[in-house]
Amino acid sequence: MTELGELVEDLVTDVDAVFLFSPSGSYFKQFEEIDVDVVVVATENAVGAEQFVELPLEFTDVIGRVRFGLEGAHGQELVEDGDEILCISKVFDDEMDTVMRVSSTEFTQTGVYDLFVNSRAEPSVIRDVFEVAVELGKKGQKGKPVGALFVVGDAGKVMNKSRPLSYNPFEKSHVHVGDPIVNVMLKEFSRLDGAFVISDSGKIVSAYRYLEPSAEGVDIPKGLGARHMAAGAITRDTNATAIVLSESDGIVRAFKGGELILELDPEEY
Amino acid sequence: MAALDWPEFVRSVFSQEAAFYLSVAVLVVGVVVAYGVWRWVHGFLARIGVPDAVEGTPFERTAQSLGTSTAGIIAQLAALFVYIGMVITALSVAQLLDVEFFWSRLTGYLPRLFIAALAIIVGLIAGDKAALVVSDRLRSIKLPEAGVLPELVKYSIFYIAALVALAQIGVATSALLILLGAYSFGLILLAGLAFKDLLAAGAAGVFLMLNQPYTIGDRVRIGDRQGVVQEIDMFVTHVEDEGTEFIIPNQRIFRDGVTRVRD
Repeated sequence: MTELGELVEDLVTDVDAVFLFSPSGSYFKQFEEIDVDVVVVATENAVGAEQFVELPLEFTDVIGRVRFGLEGAHGQELVEDGDEILCISKVFDDEMDTVMRVSSTEFTQTGVYDLFVNSRAEPSVIRDVFEVAVELGKKGQKGKPVGALFVVGDAGKVMNKSRPLSYNPFEKSHVHVGDPIVNVMLKEFSRLDGAFVISDSGKIVSAYRYLEPSAEGVDIPKGLGARHMAAGAITRDTNATAIVLSESDGIVRAFKGGELILELDPEEY
Repeated sequence: MAALDWPEFVRSVFSQEAAFYLSVAVLVVGVVVAYGVWRWVHGFLARIGVPDAVEGTPFERTAQSLGTSTAGIIAQLAALFVYIGMVITALSVAQLLDVEFFWSRLTGYLPRLFIAALAIIVGLIAGDKAALVVSDRLRSIKLPEAGVLPELVKYSIFYIAALVALAQIGVATSALLILLGAYSFGLILLAGLAFKDLLAAGAAGVFLMLNQPYTIGDRVRIGDRQGVVQEIDMFVTHVEDEGTEFIIPNQRIFRDGVTRVRD
């Protein structure tokens, strides 16, 4: 058995930091005694760790989770380029069962962390919109697959770069995303054509908007439709973030600065 | 006093022994009534949700460590006072005490003593509970100085409870009352000064929310600032112009007026 231990030893020698993904309090305590940088990556800092990266979603996909944790740690300057990092995470059960060694240079920055933390809109608003989109993608509208386009943040500019397709159902209302009732409303209104416009603080400004940004120079993967093109273009023209649920393949995509940043399959959440 | 004639009345109707038996009977009835009061108060407090409300306060924890609870203590207190009242009645019926002295002093005193004790208990619990609520609200503000506020609230409530209790048992509290008056006056004055702008902004914000003279996306000019409205909330309006975001208090918008710029 010692030989097996020696083989695995390669994994843990000379690591610069240990990333714990959603550790329990007692598990985290064990690491405090060891002389190594510990970074906790979780949806909330339940263990009171000093170095902490907040996950906006419970990523079921390990690569997504590790990538977000790494980019977050990079963004907060908890790790440097070239650091060797040991990731300890849960995959199957509620116990730590996966150890992974990555080099922080191995990942190209995709801007996933940036999408949540450094967008104009508040991170919680972007997370709430994601949740609505994911839920809508899972269940569809009355069982049928639907598409939706949410433009979050920089609402003033977005409103000036779009025009109403019909009456705005959210006119003179003061509702915010994240409220369970409002999420139901959003799902009901998703059968309308056009985009939802949501302000920095999460107020739903309008539904039924036809976006008319200049699509010049927007480069999104081929095969995506007009909805995605509009999303890419509006984020290039304004400081908004666009979250799109595709009607054809049911995947949630996020655009920022005219580029596709994140792809999520709702079925995996 | 009509009550003074009680023992004499009993004696005039019954014999001397009968009066003695009657006082014993009063004692027995007192035990039963006190038990009834205890049961009823306990049940009543449980029904109006007192045990849930006091959960987690230091007073409740102390009571728990003594093997009882806040509701239990209050119920026992009520029962005790009822029983003491009964004992005094019995003693006076048996003419074992200086009746005049006891009737006039103690019976007048008993309810007040009970209210004083109740005021202390309620004050202790309310103070701790208020401190908990306030510190819960302030949790998002990670500022050590904010820790003073819950304590201030707690001791203010303690002070008022003590004042009520002292006044009940007849201690001269006018000096303490003046202190309380000065304290609350200062508090209201300071709060008024501090929240003046916030209140004005909030009042203006309510109007803006209800009437929406302009909405997100409109180009407006407020004072000498011009830009696109990005956000309207209770207290402020965000107006952005070419990467510069003005955060304008709502009462300013009211005072200066808004110019909507239409091309």
